[in-house]
Amino acid sequence: MATTEIPARDVAAARKPAPSRRARTSNRHYARVGWGFSSPALVVIGAFTIFPIIFAVVLSFENVNVTAAGFSLQGATVGNYHDMVSSGLWRHALWFTTIYTVVTVAVELALGTIFALVLERLSGGRGIMMALLLIPWSLITVISAELWSYIYNPTYGILSEIWHAVTGGSAPNVLGYPLDATIALMFADVWKTTPFVAIIVLAGLVMIPTEMFEAAEVDGASGWKTFWRVTVPLLRPTLGIAVLFRVLQAFGLFDLPYVLTGGGPGTSTQSLAMLGYNTMFTNIDFGPGAAVAVSTAVIVLILCLVFLRAFKQQVGKETISA
Amino acid sequence: MRRTRAYRSTGRGRRRWGAFGVGGMVAVMGAATVSVTAPSTSAAVTHAAKTTTITWWASPISTSGPDLRKALITAFEKKNPGITVKLQTAPTNTDTNRADLVTTISGGAKSPDIFMGDVIWPGQFGAHGLALPLSKYLPKSFFKRFASGLVEGASYKGQVYGAPFFQDQGFLYYRKDLLAAAHMPVPKTWEQLRTDAATLVKQHKVKYGFVFEGGSYEGGTCNFMEYYADTGGKVLNATDTQSVLNVAKTTKVLSFLRSLVTSGASPGAVDTFQEPQAMTAFQNGQAAFLRNWDYAYSTSQASGSKVIGKVGVAPLPTFAGQPYPGYSNIGGWNLYINPHSVNRAADLKFIEFVTGPEAQTIEARPPFSEIPTNASVRANPAIKRLNPPFAVLSRTKLVPRPAQNPNYPKISQAIYTNMNSALAGSTSPSAAANAMASQLKSAVSNTGL
Repeated sequence: MATTEIPARDVAAARKPAPSRRARTSNRHYARVGWGFSSPALVVIGAFTIFPIIFAVVLSFENVNVTAAGFSLQGATVGNYHDMVSSGLWRHALWFTTIYTVVTVAVELALGTIFALVLERLSGGRGIMMALLLIPWSLITVISAELWSYIYNPTYGILSEIWHAVTGGSAPNVLGYPLDATIALMFADVWKTTPFVAIIVLAGLVMIPTEMFEAAEVDGASGWKTFWRVTVPLLRPTLGIAVLFRVLQAFGLFDLPYVLTGGGPGTSTQSLAMLGYNTMFTNIDFGPGAAVAVSTAVIVLILCLVFLRAFKQQVGKETISA
Repeated sequence: MRRTRAYRSTGRGRRRWGAFGVGGMVAVMGAATVSVTAPSTSAAVTHAAKTTTITWWASPISTSGPDLRKALITAFEKKNPGITVKLQTAPTNTDTNRADLVTTISGGAKSPDIFMGDVIWPGQFGAHGLALPLSKYLPKSFFKRFASGLVEGASYKGQVYGAPFFQDQGFLYYRKDLLAAAHMPVPKTWEQLRTDAATLVKQHKVKYGFVFEGGSYEGGTCNFMEYYADTGGKVLNATDTQSVLNVAKTTKVLSFLRSLVTSGASPGAVDTFQEPQAMTAFQNGQAAFLRNWDYAYSTSQASGSKVIGKVGVAPLPTFAGQPYPGYSNIGGWNLYINPHSVNRAADLKFIEFVTGPEAQTIEARPPFSEIPTNASVRANPAIKRLNPPFAVLSRTKLVPRPAQNPNYPKISQAIYTNMNSALAGSTSPSAAANAMASQLKSAVSNTGL
C-alpha cells in the first residue's frame, strides 16, 4: 500500500521544523539569561510597585494606628470606606477631579490635534517648532506651577499688570474664587500638556499614507470632509492612546493645585490625590487615606478598562474598513 | 530601663509595619517622594569614640541675613567640644515639614536626632509616640526656666514633649507716617481699623489698607482664632474632647472678615495671602496695616524695604465693646527629640544649651530678634529695648490654637477652609459658620476624612 499517508505529527513538523536539541538548549539558556537580567528590575518592581499596592489595599481595610515603631494594624474594618463615601470632602474631590479630567483632556485633545495638523504641514522649521512646543511639557510641574502663581498673583502678577493696562480696572483675584481658580488650574494644565498630545497625534498623522488623501482629492472631497472622513478615522487609535495617557495622568492630579491653590479657596480645588495625601500625612489617618488612594486607583482602572474596550472595537472596525 | 519599657509600650499593636509601607503609600498615590535620611550618627560614633554627631532638623528661621541656627550651633560646639551638630534644613511649609517627619520617624529612622517643630504638634506627636516625652528624661526643675504658659502648651496628657525654643504671636504693624498725616490714632477696635484702612485706600494714600494671612492654610486658623477669641468664643471644651464652637460668634467673625474685603479695607486677594504675600505688600509700602508675627518688624527694617523707620508695632485690636487689647495667637517653635535617636545624652545637652541664657540672648538680640522662651532673658530690660515687638509683649493677651487634641490638623482644616470660603465670598458667613461647626464635630470625634 503505497498511500502517502502523512502522520499528523509530520504535518506539524513540516509546517514548523522541530528545533534541534542544540536550539532547545540555547532557548532554555536564553530564557535563563533573560530572567537573570530582568530579575533586578523585577525585584524593584515587586518591592516598590506590587508590594505597596497590596499593602495599600490591606491598610484600607484595617484600623491603622501610627506609632514610633511603624504601623500597627488593629483589626479589619470597612469603616474606612464608609467614612470616605459619607464624607462631603471626598464627594467634592471626586467631582472636581472628574470635571477637571474631562475638560482638560477634551481641550488638550482638540488643541493638540490642531497643533499637530499645523506642524505636519510646516515645510520648514518643524524641528525648532517642536522643540519650542516641548518646553512647557519638559518643565517640572512644581516649577511651572510656581511660574503660574507669579502670573496669577493679584498684587504683583503679570496678569494683573496686563489686565490693568488693558481695562484700567483692578486685577481679578484669579485664585481667590472657586470657579476662577478651577479655570486657572485647567489653563495651566492645558498650557503644559497640549504639546504632549500634539506630538502623539503628529506621530499618528505621519503614519497615514498620502494615497488616502490623494484618493479623497480625486473623489472631490473638500478639506473639511477629508479631515472628518479620512484623517480623524485613521487617527482614532492614536487619539485613543493620547486620551488613555492623559486620563491616567489627569486623574492623579496633585502637584498643580498643591502649589497653586493649596486646594483652596476652601477645599474647592482639592483633588482626590491631594485629599488622600492630606488624610494620610497631615491627619496621620492612614486607613481612610489608603481607602481614598485605593478607590482612586480602582476608578481610574475601571475608566481605562471601559475605554480600552471601546478603543479595541474601534481598532477592529478600522481593520475591516481598511 | 523601666522608663524605656514603659515608653515602648505605647507602640503596642497586633502587627507592626515599618517604613516600607509608608513609602509604598506614597508610590500608590503617586503624590510625593519621601526621603529617609540614613543615620550618619552611628557611623560617626564608631569612627571616633570621642565625638558624637547629632543631626538637627530645622526649617530656616529668618528669611534674610545671618542664620540663627548656625549661630547657635557654633556657640554650642564651642562649649561642647565632644559634640558636633549637623544642620539639616527642613521645608519651610509647616505641613510638608510635619509630613516628612511623620514618615521618617514612624519608619524607624534614627536621624534626625532633634527636630524643630511647631508649637501645635505636641498633641499629635505625643498621641502617636513620634516625639520623646522630655519630662521623663529631664528633671522638673529644668522646665522652670521657661516663661509661664509655654510648658503647658508643649505638653500632652501630662508629659512635656517639646522644649520651647522661641515664641511667636500676632502683632499689628502700622505705618506711622500715614497715620500721622491723616491724624489717625492707632486703631483699638477692628471696626476702627476697617474704617481707617478703607479711608486711606479711598484717599489714594496707599494701595491696600489692611493685609493679613487669609489663605486656605494653617495661618488662616491663627488669624481666625484672634478674632474669635475677641468675641469670647471657645473652640473646644475644657478637656479638649468636644467642639463647643459658637455659630453666632463665628458668623460675626466671618461677616467682619468678609466686610474687610467688601469695604475696600483689604484687597480681594487677601484670601490667597500667606505670610510672604502679606509681608511683601507691607514692606513695599503698599499697605497701611499688617497682621503678622514677630519677624515682620526686623524684616520691614532690613535693607531693600521701602518702609524703614516708618513702622510702628501695637497689640492687635478687638471688637467694639470688648476690653483692649484683642487676643494674639500663640505661635513659635519647640525642640523635640526623635524617640529613635541613639545620642539621647547629647540631644538633651543641646536642648539644655539652646534654651539656656546664653543661646536665648543670642536669639533675642538683633539681627535675630526672636522672642526668647527663657524667663530670665525675657525679663532683661536691655534686651527689650532692642526689639520693638518684644517691648509690646507685656501688653498683649494670648490665645492658643486648640492643638491639645490629637486630631488638631483636622480641627484646623475645618476652621481655615471655611474661614477662607467666607472671606472669598464663595460661601455666606452663616453657611460657613455652620459648616465649620459640623466639620469640627466630626474632626474631634475623628470620623470622616
